Amino acid sequence: MNDIRKNPTFRTQFHEMCAKVGVDPLASNKGFWAELLGIGDFYYELGVQIVDICLATRSHNGGLIDLQELRTLLSQRRKAARESVSEDDCIRAISKLKVLGSGFEVISVGKKKLVRSVPTELNKDHNEILELAQAQGYVTVEEAQRRLSWSSGRATDALETLLKEGLAMIDDGHRDGKRRYWFPCVASMSVATGAGG
Amino acid sequence: MNGNWLPQAPLTASGRPVLQPGEVERSLQSSVDLEAEENPRLTPLRSGLLALTTHRLIWIDESSNSGYAIFLANVIHAYPPKKSIRSMFHSPRIRLQVSVSAEGRIGEKGSTSEMITIVIRGKNDPDAFFSKLWDALRSRPWEVEEKNGEVTSVDGGVSGPGSRDGPSNSVWIAMPVVGVSGILRKEQEIWESTDKSLQEAFQDLNALMSKAKEMVSLAEKMRLKLLSGSSAHANVANDEELGSNQEMQDWLLSVGIASPVTKDSAGALYHQQLSRQLADFVQRPLERSGGMIAVIDIYCLFNRARGTELISPEDLLQACALWDKLDVPVMLRKFDSGVMVIQNKTHSDEEIFTRLKSLALKPNALRMGVSPSDAAIILGIAPALAKEHLLTAESKGLLCRDVSPEGFRFYVNLFEEIDPTNTHLVKHHGLFEAWVSAASVFG
Repeated sequence: MNDIRKNPTFRTQFHEMCAKVGVDPLASNKGFWAELLGIGDFYYELGVQIVDICLATRSHNGGLIDLQELRTLLSQRRKAARESVSEDDCIRAISKLKVLGSGFEVISVGKKKLVRSVPTELNKDHNEILELAQAQGYVTVEEAQRRLSWSSGRATDALETLLKEGLAMIDDGHRDGKRRYWFPCVASMSVATGAGG
Repeated sequence: MNGNWLPQAPLTASGRPVLQPGEVERSLQSSVDLEAEENPRLTPLRSGLLALTTHRLIWIDESSNSGYAIFLANVIHAYPPKKSIRSMFHSPRIRLQVSVSAEGRIGEKGSTSEMITIVIRGKNDPDAFFSKLWDALRSRPWEVEEKNGEVTSVDGGVSGPGSRDGPSNSVWIAMPVVGVSGILRKEQEIWESTDKSLQEAFQDLNALMSKAKEMVSLAEKMRLKLLSGSSAHANVANDEELGSNQEMQDWLLSVGIASPVTKDSAGALYHQQLSRQLADFVQRPLERSGGMIAVIDIYCLFNRARGTELISPEDLLQACALWDKLDVPVMLRKFDSGVMVIQNKTHSDEEIFTRLKSLALKPNALRMGVSPSDAAIILGIAPALAKEHLLTAESKGLLCRDVSPEGFRFYVNLFEEIDPTNTHLVKHHGLFEAWVSAASVFG
């Protein structure tokens, strides 16, 4: 059945069927489903590629990457295979990686989905900052105070933690003198390069 | 062979189909039957040659030198050969939905249809044949000619405007395929046929799934029995029982129920084998990574080395968990943060702590602390893992952390040097003194 490798819709429905029956088709390479349909290789290899990409981008984004950006980088890598990879496919592959204990997980921040590849715990405050950052790619302490109704201490704490975890970068070069915290994981490349000093 | 329920196809004297202008043969299969599914009165055509051309499917009976054809234009849909357990024992079948005229003639334009089965018995590749058939049905090469100004027949028997005689003396009519609507129609057909082939695939899967459901509920019962039975009846275990336990584990695994590794059971044989293989495999990466490597890195390294038949993350974990039972020099370890690593059994935490402490006592470190990257260089392991060690040392009271915008830095734990009854006392010896002199360099 070539269908399963070539058709993301088919894969999603297949997984739903398996879930209803109580079977995990990806539990083991030895599984009947993996062998018969060849989906094991598809997902396990996808897992390897996702780990690679997360590692390669970690110095830039601190271990949090936008799922869409991950998919773009994936399709560049997989050009030869010409098999499309859906968001659902990525989420499934990552959920399998989770058991290996290095913090791989898909988290929702606002409207976006981010893939975490480090064991850093993100609490609710951090999530809210990330959501705020989606608008322009950066956040200031003042903005966090204003938009989230936080004290300046709370805002600074959250931003500084994200900074030390490598998820944010500092930009102090603006005329207004306000420190900007840039978040590579939610800022697209164009936003980051477009902003002047 | 009374195949008169299909339009006749003229053959040459040597039994080759007479091709129409622009018609090209694409594939030839031997030992093919054609059956009219819904109409058992119609004698099936047995053991003929089936030629796929750009325009038609032509079935040829060599002994009687007769041929019958189905115009591809009158094929409403084609269903691919089923892949199911059942079908492994039968000859592959391709099913066609063919239109039927008002007078009940199959293979001619009409509003009703009939299902015809193509049974491929010979040593053929049914998949390759089907994909060629599919290409022809989708790309409709007989219409391409029409667009180029020629008129092409879609029905062998009706006359109309713009007709001309072909070499087989049948009359042709134009089939209007105009610009956008033609494209749209093609798109729609592709959509519908994709949907239908998905449905077909799901029909098979559904059949499999209902069987699987039975298997799964049975398997679950067995699994529970394995889990409870093995510990309760430890004394009763004999070879035979162990053997069947093993088989059950493997079978459970193949159904998609991961077999648990308990202290009594060794899990599936598959995982036992994998466990040994992995113990061998990790030696080299461990050496390169200073004796400790994250499990996720092994997952990538191992699967990349394998190339195909990759293992799942759960397979890897099960295999590592089994190392306890085998005599191998490696072990699985989980840190508080959840990070899991593989390390050599000879690896000693104490040794690491000693090295970290002596690193933290250097004058530079007394002033500025030790970062995970510093520790990584000294220990020869990855920074993320070095951080785990630093955190563990901290939890043992050897180091203290300092968090700043630059990240985590660790300092030797000075608190133990401070007399709780006299916190202002500055000791002039030992660690305290060393720290004071190092810190005061800044003035």
